[in-house]
Amino acid sequence: MANTLRPYLTCIRNTLEAALCLQNFPCQEVERHNKPEVELKTSPELLLNPVLICRNEAERCLIETSINSLRISIKVKQADELENILTKKFLRFLSMRAEAFQVLRRKPVQGYDISFLITNYHCEDMQKNKLIDFIVQFMEDIDKEISELKLSVNTRGRLVATEFLKQFI
Amino acid sequence: MAAVSVHQFAQCITCHAWSPDHTMVALCPNNNEVHIYRYSLDKWEKIHVLQKHDQIVSGIDWSSMSNRIVTVSHDRNSYVWNQEASEWVPTLVILRLNRAALCVQWSPKENKFAVGSGAKTVCICYYEQENNWWVSKLIRKKHNSSVTGVAWHPNNILLATTSTDGKCRVFSTFIKGVDPRGSGTSVSSDSKFGEQIVQLDLSFSWAFGVKWSPSGNTLAYVGHNSMIYFVDDVGPSPLAQNVAIRDLPLRDVLFVSERVVIGVGFDCNPMVFAADETGIWSFVRFLDERKISSSTSKYGSQFSEAFGKLYGQTKQGFWNDAIEPSRPRGGVHENCINCILPLKKAGDAIVKRFSTSGLDGKVVIWDLENQTDISSYL
Repeated sequence: MANTLRPYLTCIRNTLEAALCLQNFPCQEVERHNKPEVELKTSPELLLNPVLICRNEAERCLIETSINSLRISIKVKQADELENILTKKFLRFLSMRAEAFQVLRRKPVQGYDISFLITNYHCEDMQKNKLIDFIVQFMEDIDKEISELKLSVNTRGRLVATEFLKQFI
Repeated sequence: MAAVSVHQFAQCITCHAWSPDHTMVALCPNNNEVHIYRYSLDKWEKIHVLQKHDQIVSGIDWSSMSNRIVTVSHDRNSYVWNQEASEWVPTLVILRLNRAALCVQWSPKENKFAVGSGAKTVCICYYEQENNWWVSKLIRKKHNSSVTGVAWHPNNILLATTSTDGKCRVFSTFIKGVDPRGSGTSVSSDSKFGEQIVQLDLSFSWAFGVKWSPSGNTLAYVGHNSMIYFVDDVGPSPLAQNVAIRDLPLRDVLFVSERVVIGVGFDCNPMVFAADETGIWSFVRFLDERKISSSTSKYGSQFSEAFGKLYGQTKQGFWNDAIEPSRPRGGVHENCINCILPLKKAGDAIVKRFSTSGLDGKVVIWDLENQTDISSYL
C-alpha cells in the first residue's frame, strides 16, 4: 500500500465514525413521508457541513451528512485514458447491481465516480463498524482492482498483437 | 458491572415505558405496534399488542398515577389507552397536526400531556369532560424546526422543548379551567398559554433530550455537536454551562439526582456527569466498563474543549500507519441508545435504578448501588 493511502483512509474512517450518527426522522415538508434529507435538501437546518477529503488532485472523497442519512462520494484515481474507461465501465457494472450492495447509490453525484447512500435504516439493521469497514475496504480494493484490470488488458493486448503480427513474418 | 438485567425484546426498539409498579414494559419494536411485556416467573411474557397506529410509533409514556398509556406516531395521531378489565381501550386524541408526532410526555399531575411534532409545533392536550375526549392546544410559530424533545417542569406549568434548530425553549402552558389559578411559581403564574419564557441558543447543531432536575432548578439538554448543556435559574437571566464530550453525541439525558446526570447516545455506553460543590459540571466516567483505561480521565467544562481536541488528535494517531479495523462501540448495548427512563418508586428523591433501550433491541436495567465513586456525588 502506498504511503499516502493509509492516512487518507484513516481520515475517511474517522470522519465516517463521527458522521454516522443517524436517526429516524420524518420529513418536515411533506406529510407522511420519510426520505433521506441529504438527497432532498429541503430544510437547510437538517444538513451538516459537507467534508471533502483529498489525497491529491485526482483522488478525493466527499462526505455529506444530514439528520437521517449520509452520502459518501468517491473519485477514483485515473492516470490515463485506459484507466478512465476501465473505472467508468467497472463502476457502472457495480452501480447497475446497486440493490445487491444495499448502500450503493444507483447514480454517482456529479463530479464523482461512485456514491454510497447510508440511511438510518441501514444503521438499524447493520453494525456501524462493519459498514465503515466495508466502505474503507471498498476504497482500498478499487485501486487494486483497476490496476489489475489495466495489467490484464495490456497483457492481452500484447498477446493479441503478437499473434496477429505472426502472419506477416 | 452496573447493568443488572439485559433483555433482548426485538430487533430494534424506538422507545419504551414502564408501568407504575415496574412489572410491565411497553415498547415499540420499530414498527406501528406497541408491545406490552410482563415479567413473571423469571421471564418476559408478551401480554398485549396495541395496534392502532399505521406508521412507526415514536413516543410512549405510561402515567404512574392514573395508569394510562399515551402513544404518538409518525402517522400524525396520538392515542390514550385506558385499561378496562384486561383490555387496553384506545381513545383518539385530536392533535390537529399535519406532520409526524415525535415525542410525548405526561405532565407531573397527569391532567395534560405534551406532544412535540415535525410540524414545528407543540400540542398540549387535556381532557374535556363534557365532550369526553382529549383536545389539544397548539404552541405555534415559536419553533423553526421539528420539536425533538419535551419535558415538564415539576410545577405542571412550565414546559421545556428542544428542536432541530438547535434551540431549547421554555413555555408556559397554563390552561384556564385545567390548572388552578396561582399553581405555578412566580415566573409562570402571570403568563398566558404559549408564552415563551426563555429561549436558549447554546447549540450550533440539533438539540435533543431535554430534562428538568427533580426540583426543577436545573435544565439539561444535549446538542449533536457532542455537547451537553446545563442551565440554572431558568428565567430572565439564565446561567448556562457547556460541557464538551470527547466521544460521539448524546441523544437523551436523565437526572439521577440534583447533581448527577446520566447521558446516553451514539456511543452506546451511558456517561455520568456530576456537579461539584461549586456547581461546576464535569464528565465523570462511562458507566459500562471499557477496555481502554484512558476513558477514566476526567475533564471539566472550562478547558475541556481544547483538551478534548488535543486528546482526540493523539488518540487518532495520525502518525500511526496501521489501519486497524474499527472496534465495535459500547459493551452491553451494541447500537445507539435512544431512550433512558428512571425506575423509582413515588417519593424517592434519588433514582438508583434506570433503564435504557436502543436500536439494538435491548432493554437494559442499570443499578448505581455499588458504584461507590458515583454515589459520593449523589
